[in-house]
Amino acid sequence: MDNLNIGRHISGQFNEDLERIINHVMHMGGLVEKQLADALTSVCDADEELAKKVLENDYQINNAEVSIDDECTRIIAKRQPAAGDLRLVMAIVKTITDLERIGDEAGKIANVTLESLSGKHKDLLSNLDNLGRHVLTFLQSTLDAFTRMDYDAAVKVHKSDDKIDREYEALMRQLMTYMMEDPRSIPQVMSVIWSARALERIGDRCQNICEYIIYFVKGRDVRHTTAEDFQSLSK
Amino acid sequence: MNNWFKSGSPWVWLSAGGVSISLISVIGLLWLIASRGLSYFWPADIYQFEMTDEQGINTTVIGEIYDRENIPTSQLVHLNLDLDTSVESIERLLIKTGNRELVSLDFRWILVPQISQQSLPEDLVLIERRTNGNFYGYIENIILDGRTVGLEKMPELVERVSEFQAEMEELQKVDIGAINYQIERTRLKERKHKLDETLTPELQLEFKNTVASLRADYEVLEHALMGLREKISRDQIVMRAMDGQKVTINFENILKINFNNQLTLFGKIKLFFSQIGSFISDDPREANTEGGVFPAIFGTVLMVLLMTVIVSPLGVVAAIYLHEYAGNNALTKLLRIAVINLAGVPSIVYGVFGLGFFVYMVGGSLDQLFYAETLPSPTFGTPGVMWSAITLAILTLPVVIVSTEEGLSRIPSAMRHGSLALGATKAETLWRIILPIASPAIMTGIILAIARAAGEVAPLMLVGVVKMAPNLPLDGNFPFLHLDRKFMHLGFHIYDVGFQSPNVEAARPLVYATALLLVSIIVALNMTAVSIRNRLREKYRMLEH
Amino acid sequence: MISVTPKNLSEHNVKLDLNNLSPEQVALEIRNLDLYYGNKQALQNISMSIPKGQVTAFIGPSGCGKSTLLRCINRMNDLVDTCKIEGQINLHGENIYDRHTDVAALRRKVGMVFQRPNPFPKSIYENVVYGLRITGENNRRVLDEAVENALRSAALWNEVKDRLHESALGLSGGQQQRLVIARAIAIKPEVLLLDEPTSALDPISTLTIEELINDLKKQFTVVIVTHNMQQAARVSDQTAFMYMGDLIEYSDTNTLFTTPLKKKTEDYITGRYG
Repeated sequence: MDNLNIGRHISGQFNEDLERIINHVMHMGGLVEKQLADALTSVCDADEELAKKVLENDYQINNAEVSIDDECTRIIAKRQPAAGDLRLVMAIVKTITDLERIGDEAGKIANVTLESLSGKHKDLLSNLDNLGRHVLTFLQSTLDAFTRMDYDAAVKVHKSDDKIDREYEALMRQLMTYMMEDPRSIPQVMSVIWSARALERIGDRCQNICEYIIYFVKGRDVRHTTAEDFQSLSK
Repeated sequence: MNNWFKSGSPWVWLSAGGVSISLISVIGLLWLIASRGLSYFWPADIYQFEMTDEQGINTTVIGEIYDRENIPTSQLVHLNLDLDTSVESIERLLIKTGNRELVSLDFRWILVPQISQQSLPEDLVLIERRTNGNFYGYIENIILDGRTVGLEKMPELVERVSEFQAEMEELQKVDIGAINYQIERTRLKERKHKLDETLTPELQLEFKNTVASLRADYEVLEHALMGLREKISRDQIVMRAMDGQKVTINFENILKINFNNQLTLFGKIKLFFSQIGSFISDDPREANTEGGVFPAIFGTVLMVLLMTVIVSPLGVVAAIYLHEYAGNNALTKLLRIAVINLAGVPSIVYGVFGLGFFVYMVGGSLDQLFYAETLPSPTFGTPGVMWSAITLAILTLPVVIVSTEEGLSRIPSAMRHGSLALGATKAETLWRIILPIASPAIMTGIILAIARAAGEVAPLMLVGVVKMAPNLPLDGNFPFLHLDRKFMHLGFHIYDVGFQSPNVEAARPLVYATALLLVSIIVALNMTAVSIRNRLREKYRMLEH
Repeated sequence: MISVTPKNLSEHNVKLDLNNLSPEQVALEIRNLDLYYGNKQALQNISMSIPKGQVTAFIGPSGCGKSTLLRCINRMNDLVDTCKIEGQINLHGENIYDRHTDVAALRRKVGMVFQRPNPFPKSIYENVVYGLRITGENNRRVLDEAVENALRSAALWNEVKDRLHESALGLSGGQQQRLVIARAIAIKPEVLLLDEPTSALDPISTLTIEELINDLKKQFTVVIVTHNMQQAARVSDQTAFMYMGDLIEYSDTNTLFTTPLKKKTEDYITGRYG
């Protein structure tokens, strides 16, 4: 919380508002993380019950997004935040959008579980599980960076998305090979591809969240910048 | 009880009580002055008393009841009067009997028990005269152009007489006065040339001719005046006084003939107002104890106006310097304190200063420089209306300075800054913004100055006021406003009439009437100034900040 | 199809490099200005360039010297006896604190509007022509024209055109402040200084004045001191943050209100105690 400096506003009310909103975001992050973990578990264990539960719980994330959005609007209207506060609120508004999407992606992964997969594709799933674990860690470190508004962590996490991309590409190639070898397995492979795709998207969204963290801390918008620019910034 | 104190109502009562006391004293003062003063003008009834004194001799007393009082019987015992000693006190009346040429005192006390009969005869006449005061009596007969005529000719006569009198007055005061003035000026011109040693024989001849032609004019006028006087002196009225003596009065001497006892209420009211009118517009007579007070009113107002003209610019400029230009240091503070303290100096001190400095030093120097031809008789080196105005201006200067400064300091600095920020210099700001906004405060200062100056008498006695001024300071002769002349003043008039006149008893109502007039004039001057101030205030009303 | 690129969006506020303005872009240059009230130093080594035709805002907590700095620009501080100034303020390359400067002429070039509306207790017309009358202009036609132009520029013409000869004190606070602005611009200054011009006004009047300021910068260089940070953010192109007599940060408004460089600035504009 060092970088936030929330507690030093002259208006105690404003402090409370901001703290509450950040706690809400963290809570929402926790929910998303759990959803993703459950979704991945359900896929790997073919646990339909768990998958159903994931799908059912998605509404919590949606509600959290709406209520945080609402709160942010109220803060903007009432407090006219400037500089760091303004960037914080903007970062939060954007972050929760991405978190909500991550929640949706988790739902998609859970859906894959419900589309019955026969046992012989177990090895496919193990690959997916591997990617999933990575993405989950990625999300965790993102949320961690967000919690601390840690610029260095954010930059590091942002870079590690490349790893996920590479893994995703490897998985895709593998799945392509499956499909070519056994066209009958195409429907099942397709569901796995959807899941992988969803995981890859989650990675991208985590990367976005890191960009918001950087925006908040440094005041620089690093979206759509080339790798070199980003490099120069992080120095 | 405790609650009552806490509620604050004792304070309300206390403050309301203070206001009531002030109000009652002011109203009481005005009521006293007004009632005493105005009753002077109310046409009184003329009584005829038949008196029987202790020796059994009968006398007749005719006159107005002037005053009545009760005196203890014990005081009268030594007079060996045939009185009922059982009563504790006896009422006595003061009767104004007039007819100064017949009796030494025109007032007389009579004891009520000695009155055997009292009546209000309708044909009793009150004649107001130019000299010797009122005459009370009966008309015996009237002589018109040397012939005796009946009483019915009276109104015609009165009218004729007043016409003649107006004509004579015009001749005497305006025409002859102007010629006299010109002759005097010619003489002074000649003397000036003599002093400057520029008097040539031609000039001398010219002056001689001028004087001769003026004298010729004078002769003509004087002749006309004599003619009129002779004409008027042929009209006479023969009166019978209370003791039966017959008195012939020239019409020339008569101002008014009134049958007071015949007057209706309406007639009395008419007479009342005409008396007030002549009081305000006439010259005083008989050592100021009779007639009007016009010269005093004129003198008072003129002097106050002159004073205002002198004090306003001086006070305002001084205040501006103190407030706007002088540095905010110890010297300025000292000056300010000095100014405030000046207001506390007794006015007679100013009078002494005015006499010593203005009249003798400044006036004396002026005379030597510019009016050498009139010396040794002084022009400005003697008390006059200008010196009075200047002395009172000095006297009232602190008031104007203090209130102007107060006004200046109340102007929000935003006004100054606004003007300065538009590229105005300090002087422009003062002239265009500050002074107009401060004008109500300046007017307040002037109001206070007028109120103070109009009521001051003491210093004026030293620097210009006289008991009787022959001429007004303003007339038709160039330069019209004669600042060197002495003048009459209502305040001094009150003092003179009330305490210096030979006939204090007769003058008492006049004192009240004059006081009422003085108060009214001061109120009128103040109201004018207040209304001007209020208009300015409305115009420059600041928004409540 | 209209393509909205970031360039289009931000085109209307061209970012100036405040440290390297070309001479024709500069309206006022303040150089190493120190100001003392008696022994107390109120401004410390202020240096800044105020660009022409833009709105520059001074913000900062009370007593930070922002109003003092503003008053230096038209030498209103001369009215304070104990005030001593070192350094320069250049207008057209000439130091206004030169001994030979005609202060009245300077103030005609650098107009000023104060915190509280201070119309003179005269008619609306006379208020507007006051500055012109000072310069000796008495031609009725010229004055009439000037009144109309000034009142139109101050967005007041339509409200008062039928009562020009009524007292200015009858106007509302917001109208009075616009009248005061009209009065200041009637003498066609180059720079207009506004010292907390809306602090005594209601929000709607405030918005009117802010809108007016936006119009005014087409003709004048505007320098505004304000307590209201949102107002500075709304109306200004440049913002200077001052603190305890120091100029802490001076940059374009967009940057200052989103990503201030100095922590003091950040703390002030986000409402933290520093």
